[in-house]
This record gives sequence, structure tokens and C-alpha cells, in this order.
Amino acid sequence: MSSQNIIQSLQPILGPDRLSELDYAATGCHLRGEAQPDQMPALAAAMLEQKFYLESPTALDLMESFEVVYHFASFYELCRLVVHVPVAVGVDVPTISQVYPAADWYEREVWEFFGITFSGHPNLKNLILPEDADYHPLLKDFVASS
Amino acid sequence: MILEKGVEEKTFYLNLGPQHPSTHGVLRIVLEMDGEYIVNSDPVIGYGHRAHEKMGELKTYQQFLPNMGRVDYLHALAYNQCYCMAVEKLLDLKVPERAEYIRVITCVLNRISSHLLWFGAYLMDLGAFTPFLYCFDDREHLLDLLDGLTGSRLTYCFFRFGGVPVDIDADFVAGCRAFVSRLRSRWDDYNNLVTKNVIFINRTRDVGIITRDQCIKYGITGPILRGSGIPYDIRKSEPYSAYPEFDFEIPIGSTGDIYDRYIVRLAEMEQSCRIIEQACNKLPDGPIMAEKVPKRIKPPVGEVYQAVETARGEFGMYIVSQGDVKPYRIKLRTPSFANMSLFPEMAQDNLVADLVANLGSIDVVIPEIDR
Repeated sequence: MSSQNIIQSLQPILGPDRLSELDYAATGCHLRGEAQPDQMPALAAAMLEQKFYLESPTALDLMESFEVVYHFASFYELCRLVVHVPVAVGVDVPTISQVYPAADWYEREVWEFFGITFSGHPNLKNLILPEDADYHPLLKDFVASS
Repeated sequence: MILEKGVEEKTFYLNLGPQHPSTHGVLRIVLEMDGEYIVNSDPVIGYGHRAHEKMGELKTYQQFLPNMGRVDYLHALAYNQCYCMAVEKLLDLKVPERAEYIRVITCVLNRISSHLLWFGAYLMDLGAFTPFLYCFDDREHLLDLLDGLTGSRLTYCFFRFGGVPVDIDADFVAGCRAFVSRLRSRWDDYNNLVTKNVIFINRTRDVGIITRDQCIKYGITGPILRGSGIPYDIRKSEPYSAYPEFDFEIPIGSTGDIYDRYIVRLAEMEQSCRIIEQACNKLPDGPIMAEKVPKRIKPPVGEVYQAVETARGEFGMYIVSQGDVKPYRIKLRTPSFANMSLFPEMAQDNLVADLVANLGSIDVVIPEIDR
């Protein structure tokens, strides 16, 4: 029921064939979307309108490019949406912190650990790493000493 | 004379922590003050960062298991369970029923111990010393129980992929029943000492109110969310393990103030007792490990998201597998991280005297924020 609502409200933003249903028992998510970086603020606003909360934004280092991954879930019904946003190296992603204040910290975390810049973020500085850290530890070519 | 010229209105900065007994860990908060009122606050986190997510990429699936007891050390078994369930999903492993029951019993016991510690430590924050002693007395019995089964008192690493390594015996079940009846006999003491205490009520009623709208925008989960009146508990709304087989309620508050959060946590301990009782009564026989658990854990390519309800809210794990013996990426979504990000809004325009009451009511575990 809810999946259909989300498909309806997100299709005008993402365009056709960008949303697919997932096997919940195997993945823990009901829907998967693929978005361009500049579609994220509109997508976030649409999700907030459906009373979804921002569950877990993070990123993946795919060696030659990045993917920013957002999970959305709802307090009112069982439905989880995962949105993958492919990001080329050096490309900025618009912030969604003006829609979801929770994204403020999450985006700072992704920025310091992966070096992905969120344009329009009001306060993009280190959150967990030391103030002067200029390295990005979750990049695959960052070698951890043991 | 300065006063005759007119005092210039100025704010000043106050530094709380990183070494402060009321921050319950290494947390620093920079406060911009206007007299007794907080104008702005900026939590400075990361002092306890141990790079769990990076470690996840460098270790094999089994090697990462002990890390899970060290993210949120107060409800370690829920974290154990989340990781095991996520990997079991990737491997398509079915856990035997008895193992699920053992997981639920130990997890819920651990939940009570976390709430008891919060109860004692929070009242100590507010200046009451006696409840702390009561809670730690009760908690000690619980820790002895779990110690006998798992071998540790705090940073448990008890669950395995496919089940649990040690079966529980009649002594453990009897110990659980004894603990439940002991704890129930204490509710009157707790209520007389704290719940009906006029000083406590005056310090917490209508203080630190969190609205439902804020909960959605900040992704607030756990007793804070339920205190604000949204009946969201992952054990009910996204049922996992053996929880659907038990009858328990989700306590909720109405105004979303600190007192509501207190009532919710107290009521949750009673609900936890109900779950333990039912689980002990219905405990099925059978194996405690799945058959054919591979010695070498090497899940197929794929990704999974698993959420569980911990004492502080939703803990989620996002694991990406590229078919290797090590995960490609592990993301830990911890409840206190989201809950703490709301703190500046909670504290704004409030008295500094209420700051500790506000902060303690979130029930933060700092290593869980820092990971």
C-alpha cells in the first residue's frame, strides 16, 4: 500500500524506471530508488511529506566513483526505501539538511570519512575526526596501520 | 562607572566536558550563554572514535563479532543480534526456534540492565543518590545471571551466526523467574521513592519537550519517540526473532517531556519482565545452532539492512557484500547519534540548570555516538 504511494510521489521527481521493488525478506528494504545528486532535495521533501524519517545516510567507495546511500523508513507503517545516488569523483551533492535537520550530522560524517562535498551545507566541518584531520579514513586506498 | 554608561549586552561561552560526570562519557558541549540561559549549544563528539566501520572492512565476518559488544556496551546483546541477523539474511540461514528464544531472553535481560543503569545514573544527575544504590543492587543479580551464561558482565559477545553457542539450563530459567519476581517486588519502592517524588516531578514535568514533528525530522527513536506519543517499537512494527510470539505492550507518553520518558522507561522494564516470563514458560526444545553453518563465512554479492530495537532506539546495520570473506562496507546506524543531534534544539533558550536533566533524559552512550 505504502510502496505504491511512494512510487507515485517519487516518479515525477526521478523519472520512469528508477524505482524497483525489492525482496524484503532478503534485503530488509521494500523499495530501491536510483537518483541523480540534484534530485535529492526534492526527493527528501517528498519523503518528509509522507512522514518518513531519514534513517541512515552513508556512502560507498566504489574505487572509481562513489555512491551515496540514503535509507528512509516510517514510524507509521512497515516500509523502507533505499536510494542510491551515484556520484563521480569531485562532484558535489546538494545537501538535504534544510529538509531533514538530521542530515546535518550525517552529511558532515560522510564528508569527513569519504571527502564527498555537500553543497549548501551550513556547517561542513569535521564531526567525529579531529578538527585538523585532512584524511578520509573510509576510502578504500586509506591504509589503516595495525 | 560601568553601570551608569549602560552595560553592553554580551553572551559568553561555557565549556561542559569533555571530562564531566554528567556527560556519561567523553562528550564536550560548547555553550553560548546569556546569563543563565543557553543561546546556542554545539556538541563536540568523536573523542571515543575507534573506527568500527573501518575495522569492519578489514576483518572477516567472524572477527568483527566482538566489536559489536563495544559499540553500545550497555545493550551489547541487541547489537550482537543485529549483526548476526544481518549476516544470516545474507547467507539465508534459518535460526532454530530455541536459539531465538534464548536470544530474546538474554537480550531483554540486557535491556533491563541498561534501563536500570539509566534510572540510577539519571537520578544521580538530578541529585538523588539512593535510587542509584537500589538499581545497582537489582542490576547485580541480573549481571550474575548473564555472567554465568555468557562469561562476561558488560561487553557480551554471545550470539553466533546461525544460533547461540551455549544452551540455557533449568538453573538459568529459575534464575530468570526469581529475578523477575524480585524486580516486581521493587516497583513500589521505586514509585514511592521517585515517581511520586515532588522534587523529581517539578524538575522533569514540562521540561525538555520533544514534539512528534521534531522526532520525524531528526529520526528520533526509542523511549524518547515513545515518550512523545508515537507507538513505534521495531519489535512490534518490524517483527523479528521470536518477539511476535509474546504478548507485550508499547508504553507511550503524551506531552513528550522528561517525565514522560521516565514513565516510558519504567513501564518498559515491566513489559520486559512479561516477555521473559512468557519466554521461560514457552521455551521450546530443540537444537540451538542451525545445521550446515559454513566454517568460512562468504556471503554472496548483495546488500542488506537490518534494524533492531535497543534500549536507546533503532540500531541499524547496512552491510554490503561483494562475495568476499570480508564485508565491503559496514555502516552502523546508532540511535544516540540521531538523538544527540537534536540536543542543541532541546537546550536552546533553556536554563543551564536544566541542561543536565535534558542531556540525561536522552540516555546517551557516548561510544555509540562516536563508534
